[in-house]
Amino acid sequence: MYKKPASRNGIRVRFENVWQRFRVIRERPDTLREVFTRAFRYGSRFEGFDALKEISFEIGEGEAVGIVGRNGSGKSTMLKIIAGVYRPTGGQVTVKGSVAPLIELSAGFQPELTGRENILINGLILGLSKREIQDREEGIVEFAELGDFIDSPVKQYSTGMVMRLAFGIAAEVDPDIILIDEILAVGDAAFQRKCIARIEEFRSRGKTLIFVSHAIQSVIQLCPRALLLHKGELLADGPVREIAERYEELTRAPVATH
Amino acid sequence: MHQLFSEIAHNRELIVALALQELRVRYKRSVLGFFWALLNPLFMMLILTVVFSTIMRIKIHAYSIFMLSALLPWTLFTQALTYSAETMVGHAHLLKKMYIGKAVFPVAAVLANIVNFAFSMVPLLILVVALRFPLHWTWIYLPIPFMGLLLFSLGCGFFVAAANVFFRDVAHIVQIVLQGWFYLSPVIYSLDFVPHRYQWLFHLNPMIYILNGFRLAIYYGVLPTFLSACMTLGVGLAALSLGYSFFRHYQDSFVFYV
Repeated sequence: MYKKPASRNGIRVRFENVWQRFRVIRERPDTLREVFTRAFRYGSRFEGFDALKEISFEIGEGEAVGIVGRNGSGKSTMLKIIAGVYRPTGGQVTVKGSVAPLIELSAGFQPELTGRENILINGLILGLSKREIQDREEGIVEFAELGDFIDSPVKQYSTGMVMRLAFGIAAEVDPDIILIDEILAVGDAAFQRKCIARIEEFRSRGKTLIFVSHAIQSVIQLCPRALLLHKGELLADGPVREIAERYEELTRAPVATH
Repeated sequence: MHQLFSEIAHNRELIVALALQELRVRYKRSVLGFFWALLNPLFMMLILTVVFSTIMRIKIHAYSIFMLSALLPWTLFTQALTYSAETMVGHAHLLKKMYIGKAVFPVAAVLANIVNFAFSMVPLLILVVALRFPLHWTWIYLPIPFMGLLLFSLGCGFFVAAANVFFRDVAHIVQIVLQGWFYLSPVIYSLDFVPHRYQWLFHLNPMIYILNGFRLAIYYGVLPTFLSACMTLGVGLAALSLGYSFFRHYQDSFVFYV
């Protein structure tokens, strides 16, 4: 079931010794007063925290890869680097093709604006033209089952509606690489089935899927291959069943259900 | 600089959408909506005209036009700066989720206020007609000071947008600086009022060349000297290149601080 990417031409994502260091949040000054008081009190301020350490891997065209690990293992940081949100502190990242993140895409909505207005802004950011968005709008509204709500402010939407709209946008943008962060943990069973059907269809067209989760069962369902992250290090990269065993050893607890 | 222009060209649809969003959110749930862009300068003008020509008896013919000719561009400048200071933090929800060229936000903030500026020219024109004030041919010179104003606002906008990401105090400091700057610029008074030996100090203010261009063309009906026209564009370009290089230098770390 799981196979390594056939040729180097088909590489979509490549990490070479990628390293991401964050400044510790409590050391971050927000106001001038904090800067001054700290400058007099402490000497150093570059206390760092390594979210990812020397990570190297490749993901090929048409692959579906799960990224698993416990909270704080660096999974989401990795997705944000692939999405281009973070520029890594060190190492080389290559991403070929268009990327649409479902990293809580819904959080990118402006609550005061209508669904339609939010589709426009999000679509433009994801690289579509206004024209292309208008052509796909109908499909998005249909997938999201929004009906007349599309012209109401997003703040009036239910959580489910927001999720469906977010997924609908990412799906209709039709990227080469889709990034999913725990999205299936929310929503009812019908919505989850719908999303999974859309993801299967997406994969059948040779697109690449990268799926982050700490729920190993949903990774097994979608991805033949997985990467295991632990405290910022890449512990293992291989067939999802093997990774699942390693992950369970690591957590030494029954798989969390949601 | 070249990078800025290609980034603007590449993202032009997104910039327009963000600027419209800015305006729409600003006027949402207000009965008069876009009319506020007209009413604001109108009331400001009424108040200032009453204070300065009736109470303080400043001897300037058609004081309202004299003042508005500089107040409108000044308002564009202050609003553009106020919006730019907040724009990166205000769009944190987008910056943290997707890759976006960061420069689009200050550009959109300035663009939204250009729309407002265009609206606010309407009361000025009405006043010119109502007071039977001559509509000087020198109005055709206005694109030059407008260009200078735009470049200068954008340059300062880039600077405060970046600075406010790291120190939230900047947004507050900007307001204080703008208040002082307003009284030190010949908006409500004429430069002739300033004692001769202090005139050189006032000429260090870059806004003076821009405001003068507007006032000479609209109120006095004369063209500024060639040197003054060059200074108008010169200060604009200088501000933009300085402000943008500052912005560019720090833009990759914005996401960690917004």
